[in-house]
Amino acid sequence: MTNSFDAIVVGAGVVGASCAHYLVEAGLSVAVVDRGSVAAGTTGAGEGNILVSDKEPGPELDLALLSQRLWTELIDVIGPAIELEPKGGLAVGYEQHTFDHLRAFATEQAACGVVATPVTGADLLELEPNLNPEAAGGVFYPQDMQTQPMLAAAHLIARGVRMGRITLHTNANVVAIPRDARGAVTGVETTTQTLQAPLVVNAAGTWGGEIAALAGVNVPILPRRGFILVTEPLPVIVNRKVYSAEYVANVASDDAALQTAAVVEGTHSGTILIGASRERVGFDRTLDWTVVQRLAQQALQLFPRLAQASLLRTYGGFRPYCPDHLPVIGPDARVPGLMHACGHEGAGVGLSAATGFLIAQAAIGVSPLLSLAPFAAERFDAHHVAVVHA
Amino acid sequence: MPIMWRSFMPNLPVNSVHIRIDGNDVAVRPGISVAAALLTEGYRSWRTTRGQQQPRGIFCGIGACFDCLVILNGQPNVRACMTTVEPGDEIATQEGTGHV
Amino acid sequence: MSDQRDIIIIGAGAAGMNAAYVAAEPGLAVTVVDANPCPGGQYHRRGALEQRYRPSGCSDENRWARVEILSGQQVYAVNSMPDTGHVLVRMRGDERHPHEIGILRARALIVTTGAMDRQLAIPGWQLPGVMAGGGAQSLIKGSGVLPGQRTLVTGTGPFLLAVAASIVQAGGEVAAVIEANAPAGLARHTRKMFPAAVAKTAEAARFAGILARHRVPYLTRRRVTRIAAGAVDTQGRACVSEATVQRIDSQWQPKPGTEQRFDVDCVTLGFGFTAQLDLLLQLGCAITDAPDGGLAVLVDERQATSRPSVFAAGETTGIGGVDLASVEGRVAGLHAAAELTGRAPATALVKSLHRQRRHLHGFATALALAFPVPTQWVNDQPGETIVCRCEEITLGDIRSARDDLGATDPRSIKLLTRAGMGWCQGRMCSFSVEGICGRQANVAAQAASASRPVSVPVPLGAIARDENVMRESAQ
Repeated sequence: MTNSFDAIVVGAGVVGASCAHYLVEAGLSVAVVDRGSVAAGTTGAGEGNILVSDKEPGPELDLALLSQRLWTELIDVIGPAIELEPKGGLAVGYEQHTFDHLRAFATEQAACGVVATPVTGADLLELEPNLNPEAAGGVFYPQDMQTQPMLAAAHLIARGVRMGRITLHTNANVVAIPRDARGAVTGVETTTQTLQAPLVVNAAGTWGGEIAALAGVNVPILPRRGFILVTEPLPVIVNRKVYSAEYVANVASDDAALQTAAVVEGTHSGTILIGASRERVGFDRTLDWTVVQRLAQQALQLFPRLAQASLLRTYGGFRPYCPDHLPVIGPDARVPGLMHACGHEGAGVGLSAATGFLIAQAAIGVSPLLSLAPFAAERFDAHHVAVVHA
Repeated sequence: MPIMWRSFMPNLPVNSVHIRIDGNDVAVRPGISVAAALLTEGYRSWRTTRGQQQPRGIFCGIGACFDCLVILNGQPNVRACMTTVEPGDEIATQEGTGHV
Repeated sequence: MSDQRDIIIIGAGAAGMNAAYVAAEPGLAVTVVDANPCPGGQYHRRGALEQRYRPSGCSDENRWARVEILSGQQVYAVNSMPDTGHVLVRMRGDERHPHEIGILRARALIVTTGAMDRQLAIPGWQLPGVMAGGGAQSLIKGSGVLPGQRTLVTGTGPFLLAVAASIVQAGGEVAAVIEANAPAGLARHTRKMFPAAVAKTAEAARFAGILARHRVPYLTRRRVTRIAAGAVDTQGRACVSEATVQRIDSQWQPKPGTEQRFDVDCVTLGFGFTAQLDLLLQLGCAITDAPDGGLAVLVDERQATSRPSVFAAGETTGIGGVDLASVEGRVAGLHAAAELTGRAPATALVKSLHRQRRHLHGFATALALAFPVPTQWVNDQPGETIVCRCEEITLGDIRSARDDLGATDPRSIKLLTRAGMGWCQGRMCSFSVEGICGRQANVAAQAASASRPVSVPVPLGAIARDENVMRESAQ
């Protein structure tokens, strides 16, 4: 077996899997290396959101819109096993003023290509018959989708493996990223072997900062903790991805303190997932029952019927985020051969398709469909001067 | 052939607890579990799974496996092995998630 | 009533009740919380109307008067308060009252949550009429009802004898006891044994005598390889009618041509026990591997865990049986009380308990070594074998996640197949999944699959309304 590849992707989460997939599509041979198993990090702790609805106009929304299109194509490539559901999202405002905010926000988004339809009264209840009828109104986002992120990552990689284009190395911790005389990366060293490639993609999620450091550069990735509640299996009582208006504010927020805003959705298996909490508490995994209670309260406000449903389990994870809440995507100008695809915070599943696509474009020297400037790793360097594109 | 369930304890109180199982009036001994009551009435299973609609009854017997779920007084997903019968209980076999 | 207690003991089995009795020093508020309708645990399980359980040597009712016992209360979570060092015990009511939520604070906690039968997936093990060995016993002890008319008792370990004896003594028929190991192994391991072994061996001999009187065959180096449902119950639903037993090699692989059919309406399964560590894992207590291939909480001489003021006794510290659990419970109770009163327990008593514990522990280790449980054979069964009972995930599903999707550890298998994500949260299938993964999972990986942040389901409405949490967060 050869140890030499066109590209090495560090991280077998959904972002790494998507990078590997599009690199293969671009004709490259790829090794995927992960310290654990497939989808064992933040991907395995996610809800599988593919959302445009929670993004304000800007580079992340552009990325989300591209990703949304790519995901619709991916389902044809990898098939129904990834449980991709184009179910649409519904943002709900209880009070008239929060609904007004939602509508105004939707108008801004619509100008950027987001399909957003305000709904009230009977139309709202037709979309979600079990929704609290007291809600003032909502905005329906038909482009929002959901997938089972672990299956998505696993199937993307498995397809490449079957084609003989991806070699998967799990339980392989990257300990060094060697560089040649001119400073370019030559591959990675894991605890067990040395893999060679002229291109190394850092898709290590929460550990992206450590991988960058091995290559000698700074990429500030920090963890933002989140818990998700899982109910007993139920008949379908939630059709869409339904969330309260506060969710959008929290996603964009820079606050370190605990924030919760209910995101409620059903899954293929019948369980209902209730997110989402956001806290900056380092890597502490201890379950906080204050968080559980607040999520339960907010979920019940949306769907009073859930009061009778039992909480079976919770799971938690750490969203990898950058100080400006934008991901790091593309070649690192400081280290030839190094690319980043990390720091997607809570949007990694949704943004993974576009991220992988743009990484593959950069890898073969095609001019990217979206400008990578807002996602440049060097933006965090003190001396970095942003290049303003016309 | 119906399966007869034997009880061994001598000096046990007579079947003095009147309950209903799937709408039928039955009398069972006081102090026994809902699972035991179902077994003595000839039930080997009292729920079906939500995926394959397969019959399930009591398995672990100590509240850990959640296989013996049943509808008790309208409340679904009650562990029959962990619950003592009470007079007037309405026990109903459960299908799928137990919820409508 | 105040929610403050000095010592809270979770579990009213032999370990918990012994702990409560010795910890109930004057001036200490001691509370036992237990999920079952009445105290006794699995070994001393009794009917709801029978005489209450008092461990032997615990007859001073003045002492019991100081012990508060909360039965039918299921602890779903525990956590320690970083500021005060108190442990918060969150519990809900029984199956009739799941919405009734309560919270207690303890200065010291003793976790005696016991164990459950350890299971391995076999074709047909999900059929009505198949029961855990301990489950069959609990039916008999708790309700006086037999699990079937004619039962095949299978698995491994001396507990099979106890299950079979319970059945025949209750008037049931045992078609045979099918032991996967060879009992001669026990003699080898317990030769020049400890005094404690004598009583246990005598108990086993007594069970063997009962079975001999009832002419119950005791067949070794065999296991059940298939259970089939060719009968229906009074409701017309399929249930067990026969089981196939085969001779096996040392890795429990069946030998072709040795099939033996038993017409039975009940099959019990038991491959040792799994300690219920949910609450200890929630607290972050250090976990270690036990000689039986399972996990146990790490405790010191005082039965103290790695977390301050958290003690553990009984099966949570390693499967050891009721006598060891009783002794450990006493040690834990003495030291938990000593920690709060500042008065050291009597040295002679402590020494004597430690000596008993050492002997019983040695015997338990010998038993574990005499009845090993290989698991890789689980992988070599038909693909349609149900592994995860709750989500109906088959062996074929799991093999495909392992071989096609790169899931090499139990957690990935769970994430990719849903095995272990259902109502039981992997309690029934995790041992099988580890076997299918093909290599002995390390302690951390095993602990990860045994980790359950919510140890019993709680209605969301109850959590949302829980004023205790609101008070907590206001502080």
